[in-house]
Amino acid sequence: MKHSIAILSSIMAVSTVVATAPAQDLPKRPEQLTYRPLTFNAPKASDYRHVLSNGVVVFLAPSKELPLIELSMTFRGGSFLESADKVGLADMTAALLRTGGTEGLAPNELDEKLDFLATEVSIASSGTVCSASVDSLKANFDESLALLMDMLTKPRFDESKTKIAVDSAIEGMKQRNDDASPILDREWDMLLYGADHFEARVPTEASIRSITKDDMAAFAKKVFNPANVVVAVTGDFEVPEMLSKLEKAFAAWPTGERMPVPPAPTATVKPGVYHVEKEIPQGKVYIGSRGITRDDPDYFAALVMNEILGGGGFTSRIMKTVRSDEGLAYSAGSGLDAGVWYPGQFRAVFQSKNATVALAIQLIEREFKKMRDTPVSAEELEVAKQSFIETFPRSFESKDAMLGIFVSDEWTGRDPAYWQTYRDNVSKVTAEDVQRVANRMLDFNQMAVFVVGDWDTIAPGDGLGGKAGRAKMADFFNDQVEHMPLRDPMTMQPMK
Amino acid sequence: MRRIVSALAALAVSAPLLAQQVQPEVFTLDNGMKFLLLPRTDQPNVIAAGWVAKVGSVNERPGITGISHFFEHMMFKGTDTIGTSAPDADAQYRDAQKAIRARMNEIIWNEQYRRFFNGEINDPWNPANDTPELVKLRAELKALMDSQQGRLGADRIAELTSKLATADADEKAKIESEIALLKAEQDKARSIVKDEFDKIYTGQGGSGMNAFTSYDLTFYFINVPSNKFELWAWMESDRLSDSVFREFYSERDVVHEERRLRTESTPTGIFQEQFEAMFWSSSGYSWPVIGWSSDLNSYTMEEAMRYWNIYYRPNNLCGVIVGDFNPGEVKETIKRYFSRLSRGEMDVPPVVTLEVGQLAEMRMNAECDCQPSVEVRYHTVPFRHKDAYALDVLSAVLNGRTGRLYKSMVEGTEIASDAGARQDSRKYAGAFSFNAEVKGDSTPADLEKAWYAEIEKLKNEPVPALELQKVKNQFAASNYRRLKTNFFLLLQLGYYEGLGTWEEINEAPAKIDAVTADDIQRVAKTYFTEKNRSVATYTRKAGEGAAPEDPAIAALPAPMQAQARQIAQQIAKSTDIEVLKGNLEQMMAQAAQVPPQMKPFLEYIKAKIESRIAELEKSAPAKQN
Repeated sequence: MKHSIAILSSIMAVSTVVATAPAQDLPKRPEQLTYRPLTFNAPKASDYRHVLSNGVVVFLAPSKELPLIELSMTFRGGSFLESADKVGLADMTAALLRTGGTEGLAPNELDEKLDFLATEVSIASSGTVCSASVDSLKANFDESLALLMDMLTKPRFDESKTKIAVDSAIEGMKQRNDDASPILDREWDMLLYGADHFEARVPTEASIRSITKDDMAAFAKKVFNPANVVVAVTGDFEVPEMLSKLEKAFAAWPTGERMPVPPAPTATVKPGVYHVEKEIPQGKVYIGSRGITRDDPDYFAALVMNEILGGGGFTSRIMKTVRSDEGLAYSAGSGLDAGVWYPGQFRAVFQSKNATVALAIQLIEREFKKMRDTPVSAEELEVAKQSFIETFPRSFESKDAMLGIFVSDEWTGRDPAYWQTYRDNVSKVTAEDVQRVANRMLDFNQMAVFVVGDWDTIAPGDGLGGKAGRAKMADFFNDQVEHMPLRDPMTMQPMK
Repeated sequence: MRRIVSALAALAVSAPLLAQQVQPEVFTLDNGMKFLLLPRTDQPNVIAAGWVAKVGSVNERPGITGISHFFEHMMFKGTDTIGTSAPDADAQYRDAQKAIRARMNEIIWNEQYRRFFNGEINDPWNPANDTPELVKLRAELKALMDSQQGRLGADRIAELTSKLATADADEKAKIESEIALLKAEQDKARSIVKDEFDKIYTGQGGSGMNAFTSYDLTFYFINVPSNKFELWAWMESDRLSDSVFREFYSERDVVHEERRLRTESTPTGIFQEQFEAMFWSSSGYSWPVIGWSSDLNSYTMEEAMRYWNIYYRPNNLCGVIVGDFNPGEVKETIKRYFSRLSRGEMDVPPVVTLEVGQLAEMRMNAECDCQPSVEVRYHTVPFRHKDAYALDVLSAVLNGRTGRLYKSMVEGTEIASDAGARQDSRKYAGAFSFNAEVKGDSTPADLEKAWYAEIEKLKNEPVPALELQKVKNQFAASNYRRLKTNFFLLLQLGYYEGLGTWEEINEAPAKIDAVTADDIQRVAKTYFTEKNRSVATYTRKAGEGAAPEDPAIAALPAPMQAQARQIAQQIAKSTDIEVLKGNLEQMMAQAAQVPPQMKPFLEYIKAKIESRIAELEKSAPAKQN
């Protein structure tokens, strides 16, 4: 009985609150809400930056919330360092550093040990950097870090593990033509950067099989050393204590040469329609070209332009036209990847049932044109700018994310003022800036239009029963199409 | 070994690992809506906020499959306040569309279905097969939708605009005035403000707004700046009190595209859907979350309203807020806004159909553009069943680089390139799956056999103490790792609450820790039986896109092809130049004696050996460095 009275009183407490704020008192529209100001000062890398006695730069951001420590290393140097006949070397080296054991521990002993400690170690490579990280319970951190350092400095490159890694790469290759998306990505990179540039190169069975233990040892020595590393640590630790731990852990780590910056591609995009055949009920399409670098004076204008055009989800024009108005796609939009070392790319993306692929391309072409011919509305400009400004603090939401930014800026040499002036630079962008950069970047006739799908049903477009529809593929680039053969998944040679 | 034991001791005593409790403030409004508030200060300035509706595809029935997911799309289409500039006109549009679509459905479900059953047409829903009346209705519906969106004549405007560039001054003025006229008409007709819901959040710094639908629940979430919690309360309580299902008929095209994207144009999507349909005999888990295509076309507004009135009432919802906020303030804001929702008048009907026990093994053999693979799946237990924890621990024993599957199939016999196992505890039933992909020449049958051998070991021998402790150590560490981000915490709390209770987040660790080797043996014996299993095998479909056949092999007489393929693979794997050269010499010595029909075979092998030697020699210099 007493129990039910307690419940009753708690219900009454709720009702009281409701009585003081009846529903009709709520603001009629969200624009009527007012908010207390949120002051957010972008954190400064220098507040977290330390330099060890061997010159290694370390960013430390402790937090007591959970008894975990996470350390990550980023190394200058990635697949761009591979020679043409050893494509895949960076990946193989990273895989074998992780799985191939150390001088003191056979691979399986090492893995058992890490798993028992519940420590997660990962070593990986990408086009421009390699990385190594350890995520462990605070209590197991010292032992885990020591194991990681052994993996990096005293690798065994065990033969049986090498075979497993080679086999696994080869089994992966066999699946290269199964799904349309990898075909789309692979050929797109070749169209944009040229087949010889590292952004577009892919390993073949021959290149993977040619990689030797010596190749891997040499690559590991060249890249995974103090001359190339930037370190970040988050979690439950004290700064001075961590610094001395790292001094000790890195003391015997032989240094090397600092790796060069990745080479720029020499190829240029040849505008036109490209196609690879794949029998599926939905065509997958990229439309775009090479874009700008992040140091470009138009960078902020380009960010805002892309946001309005296709980067801003449902609020953007391509999503509205292609998905929301016409129902032609589930996902449709555009992306701007401003390069660090050389111009990156701009591209619009969608997938649509075969009959409406051409129509969606036409709609996107019109959106490009509209962006070039007409200034964006004041409201669109405001929403896009506010979105960048208001979500800015979220870039630094977690300590991991914040240090990730600092590490990347450190090795790519970005001006530290970038984040301090970011919001000002966004808010300075005008409708004229947006139109100018649209004219610079959105010339459909200078772009590649790449379709993976079933050409027989895509080409005629959305006509029904012999009647002409709204669009067909022949409408673009004077009906010129380059049909590209599928590649042999193991050799990457075109198949007939 | 000694060090491992000391680590075991160290971890075994670390009871605090289990003690990391998540303690949200929990309260329920008098309309029945429950809230979980979890303030966290480590990640400043942002709040992750969401709500879960305890409804998913399992609550559907044939005829409306996928409607839970369709609702998720509808919830972004606005209310009488958001998403329209003229609510009354908009309501009239919706009523008119509803009447046309009802008549269209009547024709399709009767006349077109009959023609389809008779074999006159191949698809009752394809517009190419429309009757004259359907053609007319479809055009009327399209015109109404275009008009509502303010897009009537959009193509004409585009056409005119493209002429502007080449027009002379006179023409230009004429064209421009026609465009202006058309645009004025569009504006007059338009009642929709497109995607306003999204636009408001975007302009105020909302990010990561999204939603998902599963078999058991539907989850809506976003991150907002910490000073804008009231915006979230306004927007979410508005759409929960007043959604109008705008664009009810056009949005299904988007869902069809989503279905094509996720299910129909992926290598194994349609087969996985069929396997699911085969595996579940009676339960509502047998149809896909996205729904069958025919149902997707058939949803009616009446059905949608019924669904809304039952499942989207506050007594079937739970809000979850995690991040940088003052709980007192947030609670007041929640009460102010969400108290406007009225409790449902209909009780949420129970899901009464239980899955019947499986009586015999079932199999599906599929051919696709995919790596050959196998799935073996067993009926097990739902969320929070006492055996679910032992099955979770059992799957952990099998998984990972030091797990049994990797050791035995990937590294030991090398028949798999990948292998894993998982207990899937849904709200009303559960399943345990083994999945593996082949390596080299092995087959799905080899993988299946190896799996049955693993099971026998699990049934017959207790998992050794050290192995069990290793797995439990990993669970213990993951109890911390899963608390790292606000957003992930939000997802876990809402997900568990959607399945039954959020308190699972605190209760599961102790239950996992209590699992014994005996428990694992017992559940293996109970569930991993022959008649309780369903098996899907996937083999690679011959033809373009598949890993291609060497044309030289295809040119050989049929009886020799298999052997040639096998020898070629051995050669490709060989790394010893001397051995290869020896083979070559030996073969050439015998060449004169082989019968003429064997010549092409021999030539083929010779070419393979020579090219492999060349390949190895090319990489040899690097070896000497």
